[in-house]
Amino acid sequence: MEKIFRGPWTVPFGECSLRLDPLNLVFLAAIVVLVLSSAIYGTGYLRPYRGKKPLGIHAFFYLVFMAAMVLIVTAGNAILFLGAWEVMTLSTFFLIIFDDEKPAVRQAGFIYLIASHCATFFLFLMFFLMAHAAGSMDFDVMARTDFPQAVAALAFLLALAGFGVKAGFLPTHIWLPYAHPAAPAHISALLSGIAIKMGIYGICRVLWIVKTLPGWCGYTLLALGIVSGLMGVLYALGQHELKRLLAYHSIENIGIIAVGLGVGLLGRSHQVPFLAVLGFGGALLHVVNHALFKGLLFLGAGSVIHRTHSGEMDHLGGLAKTMPWTAGFFLAGALSICGLPLFNGFVSEFLIYFGLFTGLRELPPEGVVACSLGILSLALMGALALACFSKVYGIVFLGKPRTDIKTDGAPEGTPFSMLLPMAILAALCLWIGLVPQSVTSLIFGGGTYLAHTDAFAVRLGTVLGPLATVVRMALLFLALILGLVLLRRLFLGTKPLPVRETWSCGFVAVSSRIQYTSASFARMIVELMKNILLFRRRGGQVTGVFPGKAHMKSSVHDASEEMIFRPGLALSNEISKKLGHSRIRYTQLYLMYILLFLVFLLIWKLK
Amino acid sequence: MSLLFNKAVTFLLHWLVIGALSPALFGVIARVKAFFAGKKGPSLLQPYFDLAKLFRKKCVYSSTTTWIFRASPVVSLAVMLILSLMVPFGRFRAPVQFPGDILLVAYLLALGRFFMILAALDTGSSFEGMGASREAFFSCLSELALFMNFITLSLLSESLSLSRMIGADIPMSWKGLDPVLLLVVGSFFIVLLAENCRIPVDDPDTHLELTMIHEVMILDHSGVDLGYLLYASAMKLFLFFAILVSIIIPVRTGHPAVDTGIFLGGVFAMAVLVGIVESIMARLRLNRVRLLLLIAFALAFFSLIVTLWRN
Repeated sequence: MEKIFRGPWTVPFGECSLRLDPLNLVFLAAIVVLVLSSAIYGTGYLRPYRGKKPLGIHAFFYLVFMAAMVLIVTAGNAILFLGAWEVMTLSTFFLIIFDDEKPAVRQAGFIYLIASHCATFFLFLMFFLMAHAAGSMDFDVMARTDFPQAVAALAFLLALAGFGVKAGFLPTHIWLPYAHPAAPAHISALLSGIAIKMGIYGICRVLWIVKTLPGWCGYTLLALGIVSGLMGVLYALGQHELKRLLAYHSIENIGIIAVGLGVGLLGRSHQVPFLAVLGFGGALLHVVNHALFKGLLFLGAGSVIHRTHSGEMDHLGGLAKTMPWTAGFFLAGALSICGLPLFNGFVSEFLIYFGLFTGLRELPPEGVVACSLGILSLALMGALALACFSKVYGIVFLGKPRTDIKTDGAPEGTPFSMLLPMAILAALCLWIGLVPQSVTSLIFGGGTYLAHTDAFAVRLGTVLGPLATVVRMALLFLALILGLVLLRRLFLGTKPLPVRETWSCGFVAVSSRIQYTSASFARMIVELMKNILLFRRRGGQVTGVFPGKAHMKSSVHDASEEMIFRPGLALSNEISKKLGHSRIRYTQLYLMYILLFLVFLLIWKLK
Repeated sequence: MSLLFNKAVTFLLHWLVIGALSPALFGVIARVKAFFAGKKGPSLLQPYFDLAKLFRKKCVYSSTTTWIFRASPVVSLAVMLILSLMVPFGRFRAPVQFPGDILLVAYLLALGRFFMILAALDTGSSFEGMGASREAFFSCLSELALFMNFITLSLLSESLSLSRMIGADIPMSWKGLDPVLLLVVGSFFIVLLAENCRIPVDDPDTHLELTMIHEVMILDHSGVDLGYLLYASAMKLFLFFAILVSIIIPVRTGHPAVDTGIFLGGVFAMAVLVGIVESIMARLRLNRVRLLLLIAFALAFFSLIVTLWRN
């Protein structure tokens, strides 16, 4: 099932072994598609920087980044994996700080670097633990080892900590909303589309290596997915900045993937192969889907920023008229990310839901409770994502411009090199949505591989049949839409229809500023959740009989950043300062300490 | 070939039933409300006249709008036509049923809602933005309650298909005087009121109140487009009634005419019930609506607990 290439290499414990198996095939597919389309997009996006910035360096790190990701997913040896992981982290850092003259960008890059290196620490621990138990750094040898329960559990937790930072699980997601808006659009697309999926890949690889995970691991993963998914989409709803909102949405989608992986793991540990394959397969399909539609959305957001020089949603509006193509592609991305039928998001969510509903029947009572929670949170995530993306699309592309947007240039204003990759990604989203059969062998191959089961033992027809019916209904739906459009044409005739102003209930001279904004659209949901979202509102109170101008500012703050990381880092700063005070400044004393330590060691050994 | 022909016939039959009968539900509700108000009320056929009038009229569009605004009525109506193939009409089994069709049902409803919200924001009117925001918020809560009901029904019927969930096994569950189903019915009824914008969640009769949700979102639609929307909301009401009736009256005598009569009688009885609710209740204050929807969720939640307890 897998192909392994081994080359000569002289690093202790290391070996240049590259592997190709059903699991990393899925990730490779996502990498290739997104890296190519982002590269095309980048040529158009970076044109204004030509001559002002050294673009060669950027291109160099782009290629290094791509190579590192390919190496990560194909590595068959832990040392090679960790090396590639470091190369990816560093090259990403240089890609993020492209606009390095801005302090905010430098800070975002720095946060990313620190977060990534903390994560790598856990990865080192995890791999050495597993290698110690297996006696080899080779993944194949590790996979053949029967790990003791304690080692398996510890490795799983370390994997969650280490890979979880990269993937963006709560509460270690805080680098995402800084890094994604700071990077140029095509880099944000890559970061969100595949770089964070490397964390998911790592978790999948560990799940594959460690076959005998304790039963609670599946529940942990499911719970982590639920929390990340719900909090991610709630934070996203509260954002005002387009790319920051999309960054939070990545956390939601990572949550959905984790729910799928959790279902798969539950199926594996309760010996329900069908459930395992469904969960893992759904999660893997969502990895690919998210790479496609989130890449598309970030590229679309980049076009908006490219044109209007603003990502602040409350300043935008009515862009569907000035940028019709970008608006169309963005709509495809929005429909996909909400998991609506006809597009690819629905297919992967359908598989994960199907797994959860199957779990209701096949699992013991605690599993039933977990699956019910999973279904409910997926439903809530779906509804909130719909609220979120109807807000984004409605505020940014529909209505009237809220401020004077500088619309320089041609009607669309987006160069062809930026439109083409969006078109490719949108077409792929629609393709997977309408012809899911074309990818089922790929993702269920990965699913069965992760589930450690025989493909023939699983009755995949139970889910492939309904999927085929879903597709037929989707086609019927399209036919109905066509029919209704024709009927409408029949009723209305071909004469041009009268065009008037929007009816504003008798008001005249309405300003476009009174339109609903992103903040007011999300207000009811955010206020309901204000205790967990850290919703803050300043000003806006009208005082006096003849009130003058008033200002109001509302914002949503990240609870895990403000309540865990800021206090924690402040504390560690405090401690290191104290330690600094008690430092001794004479070299002779240091020498004496060394001597004392040696004496201590001697005594300890001689005893 | 004959299989395909049969399928086409059942599709057309379902569309015929829902297309012909759904507007009458609005007529029944209006008559019940008129009765409570001591008035005579419009004819039962009034909704048909309204639709006929709207289909003869031209549309007026705002200069702010884009193609999204024109697409939303078409999408809404197409969604309802597809859904009517997946909901069983009492004895008439749904022509399309497969494990997991509830997911397609829920997400198609969401697709229609997505386009309605976008169309509302497309006009650039702050009134419609208000409606859109509320619709997005309340639908989160009602979707939660809906899925909670699906979980309970799926556990009861051990199936994933709407036709099975509210089909064969329901009579058995009622025989045990099942509190689970009572809770599900209560919860689903609230979801029905919310999803179809009826009192106490929303008031379908006033267009110009700031408290409106759904009605304010279609403020700028006119002519054929408004006709499509009106027709779609009539169908939506019919479909929700059909689901509820299938749960409440699971009688299958085996005699086609009697069964059809029972089903249609049940649907129109539900319309009368909604009319009574609208007559004797006031619309809830906006910040109370979420409590009502959370009650629906809680009822469904209790039904799940009881089901789990039994198993």
